[in-house]
Amino acid sequence: MSTSIVIDHLCRIEGHGGIIVEIKNGKATRVHMDILEGTRFFEALLKGRIYSEVPAIVSRICSICSGVHTITSQLAVEDAFGVKVSRQTTLLRDLFLQGGNIESHALHVFCLALPDYLGYSGAIAMAADHPDKVKLGLELKKIGNTVQEVVGGRAVHPVNTVVGGFGKVPSAAELRELRAQLVAGMDLAQKAVDFMATLETPRFTESPTVYAALRPADGSFSLVGEQICLSTGEVFPTHDYRKVCNEFVVKHSHSKHSMYKGQPFMVGALARLMINGKALTGKAKEAAERLGLNTFTENIFHNNTAQVVELVYSLEHSIALIDELLQAGIKQEKPAAVELRAGQGTGAAEAPRGILYHSYSFDDKGRLTSADVIAPTSQNAANIEKDMRVAVERLASEPKEVLAHKLEMVARAYDPCLSCSVHLVDLGNG
Amino acid sequence: MIVKPKIGIFGLTGCSGEQIVILNCEDELLDIAGAVDIRAFHTATSDNDEEGPLDIAFVEGSVVKPEEVELLKKIRKRAKLLVAIGTCATCGGIPAMHNELAREELCKAVYGGNGDCFETIPPQPLRTFVKVDYAISGCPMEKEDFLRAIPMLLHGDLPLLPNYAVCTECKMRENECLLVTRGQLCLGPLTQAGCNARCPGYGVACCGCRGPVDEANVASEVKILQEKGFTLVDVHNALRTFAAPAQALQAELVRGKNE
Repeated sequence: MSTSIVIDHLCRIEGHGGIIVEIKNGKATRVHMDILEGTRFFEALLKGRIYSEVPAIVSRICSICSGVHTITSQLAVEDAFGVKVSRQTTLLRDLFLQGGNIESHALHVFCLALPDYLGYSGAIAMAADHPDKVKLGLELKKIGNTVQEVVGGRAVHPVNTVVGGFGKVPSAAELRELRAQLVAGMDLAQKAVDFMATLETPRFTESPTVYAALRPADGSFSLVGEQICLSTGEVFPTHDYRKVCNEFVVKHSHSKHSMYKGQPFMVGALARLMINGKALTGKAKEAAERLGLNTFTENIFHNNTAQVVELVYSLEHSIALIDELLQAGIKQEKPAAVELRAGQGTGAAEAPRGILYHSYSFDDKGRLTSADVIAPTSQNAANIEKDMRVAVERLASEPKEVLAHKLEMVARAYDPCLSCSVHLVDLGNG
Repeated sequence: MIVKPKIGIFGLTGCSGEQIVILNCEDELLDIAGAVDIRAFHTATSDNDEEGPLDIAFVEGSVVKPEEVELLKKIRKRAKLLVAIGTCATCGGIPAMHNELAREELCKAVYGGNGDCFETIPPQPLRTFVKVDYAISGCPMEKEDFLRAIPMLLHGDLPLLPNYAVCTECKMRENECLLVTRGQLCLGPLTQAGCNARCPGYGVACCGCRGPVDEANVASEVKILQEKGFTLVDVHNALRTFAAPAQALQAELVRGKNE
């Protein structure tokens, strides 16, 4: 007996994609997540561009994570030219990334994923019965956006972050005002944790999973780091990212897939918690314990739970960053100078959905000669299909509509970003 | 019973920036959702009407696939008003930066031998294929432009957008001129205002993300920039970044190619 499930348009995710599943005698003979975002060929847009123009162009790969694309791009440019930025710039960038994490997680948990848990088609429909939940999500989201506006000059496609630093450094008064909002946000995040604790996490995709996340030299929980750590115990410097992401083209998707040693792997909030969770402190540590994420799990639906833990972490860490900035005395400083030379550089940072890599080569005039961008969703694509296969085979006897909805839930649990995944840049050195 | 106006929010190819700007209206979103009947918004809901009539269709993104041409025409047929949102929809945006390059070659460069299975056309703004009633530019559009437009459009009015350049807003903010005094490649003199000179306000030159203003004097700007020492290649790269298909810029880009 054979049957097929076709979902033309995956909803409540960023971008365009669908799912095709074929089942024969209870076995999944085909499981495809088709990523059908139109191609934009960023490589053609970047080639020959002066280094300083590159971050603003690549930020347009995606709107939700435009901030982390910009910063990762700047890190890659600075790596290529050997630019060292100030401690103040590093702290402000960290703060800016936390803002993006707060905004993205609040949007995903409350507006995109939660309706599945509560049985609604979306946040707007859910708001009729649960206005408090939707408002809680929107308020948290707004705080994340305010961080990005104060530090980056805009919530989508930042304008104030430049190679070497910032166009204009936020004032002490602006940071103090922001701090007050973040402190208020901690109470909201606590409510989010309390609410998440009441939800039952689906378990139908639980299966062996390899996780990957960045780790900084000091071993802290962070959205940046110099090492790629795998849950297998292996560690690579970020420059060796291609050893982890062995990308290849699949015919059914505009996004390439990645495999590590022939197996799919997962990046994102859950991967970060599983790999670096022991380094959490304060309220974030308490949240992880309360929500049961202080022990190893291979259930991808815990990614939504992990995002709630990270909401607490990002708010708490943002407050600590502002305190350090204010204590050191925030000062207007010019971006670090760039001395042009031919070179190659790599940047990596944790986007809300997982590790993002940008790698560029420049000629001695500072013009881009080759670029490579690997976004988290293209790393997760193979793992999403793995989890869908598990779900299909476990739930093969369920009515088709029920199974279809559960497959959508699997995709959504990863918080996929299809715009990012498809607009890979790969030229010259591929 | 009051019949609420039916709205659809659609995304073609792009970064979804305009849809995110709409979702970033945290203080107003639930009020908007209460005042209108949102019939389609794939990014935010699983319950989408793919066929019925709409009072307003907001469309973001540029057209880069044959099926997007068909989808856009279908949306046009359904909607009383079609509103292009964001620079991709109004001017082609970043995806249209190098429409002179062959798409097949680009496919091959990125996807290798498997690239031939992906159908793609040179990215175009919406008006290449359908009548656009109103356009809100910006990469992304300013939240305020959208919030101001919604009630006016619902009352059947087309709100006015500034017909002056970012330069004017920069002067109003009393910013230091990045072009004249700092010698930066600033596109403020050519670019449609409405962002309150956002980038120059941070000491960062205008990159022209809102597309050219009416009657932009492109030739004069190019001359000034060349006098400041920028090469024609760099000036043209800057011009083509966000709005290469725009008529005002096309004339200059073609001229540059022939020189």
